[in-house]
Amino acid sequence: MIQSVDRAVAVLLELQGARRLRLTELANRLSLPNSTVHGIVATLVTRGMVEQAASGRYALGPGVLRLSNVYLDSNELRLRALSWTEALAERSGCAVRVGVPLERDIVVIHHVLRPDGSHQMREIGIDIPAHGTALGKAVLAFDARRAEELLAAAPLPKLTGRTCVDGEELAEQLARVRDDGIATALDEAILGESEVAAPIFDAHDAVVGAVGIVLSSSAATGDRLINDEVRRTAVSISRELGASAWPPRSRPRTSAGS
Amino acid sequence: MTSMDGVPDPTAGAGSPPATAPATHLDGGLVRRWIAELAQRLRAAEARLTELDAAIGDADHGTNMTRGARAAMAALAEHDEDTAAARLVAAVGHSLSRSVGGASGPLYGTWFNALGRSLPPELPATAMELATALGAALDAVQQLGAAELGDKTMVDALAPAARQAREVAGSGADLAGMLRIAAGAAEDGAVATIPLRARRGRASYLGARSEGHQDPGATSAAIVLDALRDAADA
Repeated sequence: MIQSVDRAVAVLLELQGARRLRLTELANRLSLPNSTVHGIVATLVTRGMVEQAASGRYALGPGVLRLSNVYLDSNELRLRALSWTEALAERSGCAVRVGVPLERDIVVIHHVLRPDGSHQMREIGIDIPAHGTALGKAVLAFDARRAEELLAAAPLPKLTGRTCVDGEELAEQLARVRDDGIATALDEAILGESEVAAPIFDAHDAVVGAVGIVLSSSAATGDRLINDEVRRTAVSISRELGASAWPPRSRPRTSAGS
Repeated sequence: MTSMDGVPDPTAGAGSPPATAPATHLDGGLVRRWIAELAQRLRAAEARLTELDAAIGDADHGTNMTRGARAAMAALAEHDEDTAAARLVAAVGHSLSRSVGGASGPLYGTWFNALGRSLPPELPATAMELATALGAALDAVQQLGAAELGDKTMVDALAPAARQAREVAGSGADLAGMLRIAAGAAEDGAVATIPLRARRGRASYLGARSEGHQDPGATSAAIVLDALRDAADA
């Protein structure tokens, strides 16, 4: 770990969370001297990753947007998922999300709107605690290291009254996901919303993300046809990424990082 | 119009209806007047609730609440005139759970249902009994949604309302007086959501972008209590 790089990333993450901060506020949050933080911030400003408003406070700069756009455009999982998720949305009549794990969250990297012409919030870039979302459960079920790390942090935060926060209960759910490759979440992240998701594997046979539908809880009947559609979509994307089987019969063939 | 001792009442215009006193108990009649008043206010507020929800949600809170009001009125129409307050309030709760989607249906359905279940089953409720029931309804909503004060939700209106209702009822306030305080607390609570960052619901996906907007759920919750206050004030 290179300290200065780590600190620069820490500055970016603080600005992501708080949106606008003065130098002294940043230094305070990072427990670093003003002069140290000033040097880091000045470098980031020169590179366009941070900008300074007239008020003197700092915020993320346009360079960050350029990076995230390239991330989306070059992310292979997302690219392979584009047409399959479009088809899933059409066939299911539901919104579709693709998510990848990041620490204890799932970050949505692709979102197809519910095909009913209604006004909907854009969800690309949102992050949801993994234990509260079907996408997260689908990933955790096949990522033992990440699951172990998360379960060790139990009891987990509640997003709604229905969020599963008990480590043992969650572990049981993950075991059931391994049985049929389908993960569900009912009113566990957002009241009134339920999800069905399945894991996506890559050429290393490692789980790299998940795809799922979002439906209103009143419509969530555990319909096997819907489950099959979601599973088929996950299989198709995984095949395009080079997975040998779905779910893979063996452990990841090489360490896939992450 | 003459007063009881035969002297003409100078404050009443010719042919005006008799002045009614504020309600002292929550009975079936007051529940019906409440929901009728609420339906009217929600229709009038639909555009505003929609606008608030468009800023930090799916822009359907206005229509959801109007739909809920219609369902609630229909549910009340199915009960006899002499049905007790508790049963009517619970019936409103069931109708909302069934007919309103998203989070509002389950949340308001739970609130009204728990409120109804906490009221005395047959007799009209006193101010103290209503205050206690408001507390129980709040607890049920917090159980369902896991929201705390400050999360930028309806709890930010309902919690101060329940707390202050309990305080003033405990000091001997009458029903109408208690409701005036409670509704005022709810209104203040709704306005207080403006600077908050949402920590529940879809608005929480917006992070810092949710700041600077009044929460639609807290706004409609204040309307619910305003309507009860006005119905009780007669």
